[in-house]
Amino acid sequence: MQVKEKIYVLYRGKKIEFEEEKMKVKEILKKLNLSGEYAFAVRNGEILDENQTVKAGDEIKIVNAISGG
Amino acid sequence: MKKCLKCGIRTNIYIPQHRLALCPEHYINWFEARTQRTIEEFKMFQKTDRILVAVSGGKDSLSLWNVLVKLGYEADGLHINLGISEYSEISEIKTRNFAQRIGRKLHIVDLGRDFGRTIPQIKENERRPPCSFCGTLKRYYMNLYAREYGYNVLATAHNLDDEVSVLMLNTLSWNIEYLSRQFPVLPEENGFARKVKPFCKMSEKEAAMYAVLAQIDYIEDECPFAEGSTTLHYKKLISQLEEKSPGTKLRFYSEFLSKMYPVIKDRRPKTSINRCKSCGEPTQSEICMICRMRNNLLYGKLQTSTDKADNP
Repeated sequence: MQVKEKIYVLYRGKKIEFEEEKMKVKEILKKLNLSGEYAFAVRNGEILDENQTVKAGDEIKIVNAISGG
Repeated sequence: MKKCLKCGIRTNIYIPQHRLALCPEHYINWFEARTQRTIEEFKMFQKTDRILVAVSGGKDSLSLWNVLVKLGYEADGLHINLGISEYSEISEIKTRNFAQRIGRKLHIVDLGRDFGRTIPQIKENERRPPCSFCGTLKRYYMNLYAREYGYNVLATAHNLDDEVSVLMLNTLSWNIEYLSRQFPVLPEENGFARKVKPFCKMSEKEAAMYAVLAQIDYIEDECPFAEGSTTLHYKKLISQLEEKSPGTKLRFYSEFLSKMYPVIKDRRPKTSINRCKSCGEPTQSEICMICRMRNNLLYGKLQTSTDKADNP
């Protein structure tokens, strides 16, 4: 049986999985309730554009730049 | 895909408020050069000054320390371990590792050891929000260490988003006293070291992108006590304006500094500064707020859960 690949997203120490085959970075940000004005995605050390597509099997990190206090 | 303005290679890095696309290498150069321009614009410090950088272990402060050292400034670090369980432990480890990487001296204050109580312990007895008394403690130790170890400049990594959210908050309440102090350089006076904010014109996202591209290992977790803070709320509101109209944050802040600040800067109330009778640090009262807090916590009527457990 073939195991279905997922999109893996690391966000503030948590690993989140998306079942989609592919997603745009801005769609992932939206699902996490984040804005591209202060958040961005990184794949293998490379900063991604909001309109770039991420595929199942990819592992990306989301950086939320906003901090409070 | 856009092309780097400097070398023409394809890049994903685009800064809307400056309408600028840059490759990773040229982004790092741009960020460092922009920090240098800000230092010069506000005459913050020179290569002969001794700078103490307040480093939390987060992206902004570690990036600032990295930039200052790369630009050739004499910059050491001060980290304050707040005693907030795993968050503070990781923050200290990341800060220590970074100090080792850049080969600079790091001073460490441990609130539990040096003040006698950690932030969670103080919170149990304080009416003020944690960010408020935590800020008071941080400012106290920053000034104390600057004086004790001979640093004449204190640098913090407050960025454009920090400055704009505070500016908006103070403007909405027309707090002239606070607005008259909101300048990226506060001169050395009355026992207080010069305070500077070299990242005041860099957005939070710009600083985070710099940290990622410069491969700085910082703590990504948010301070657990910052959740729901007023600052976070304002930052999110302002980011909506920025998204619709890139450049709004920088314009609001820069125009305040050039047009409004000169009008109100002399409205700052004249206060007499004394030396705290207990610790000798500058204060407007006889006993400084930190010594009063410490006395209340350690010897006053208020007790922490540890005290209660020790003395049922």
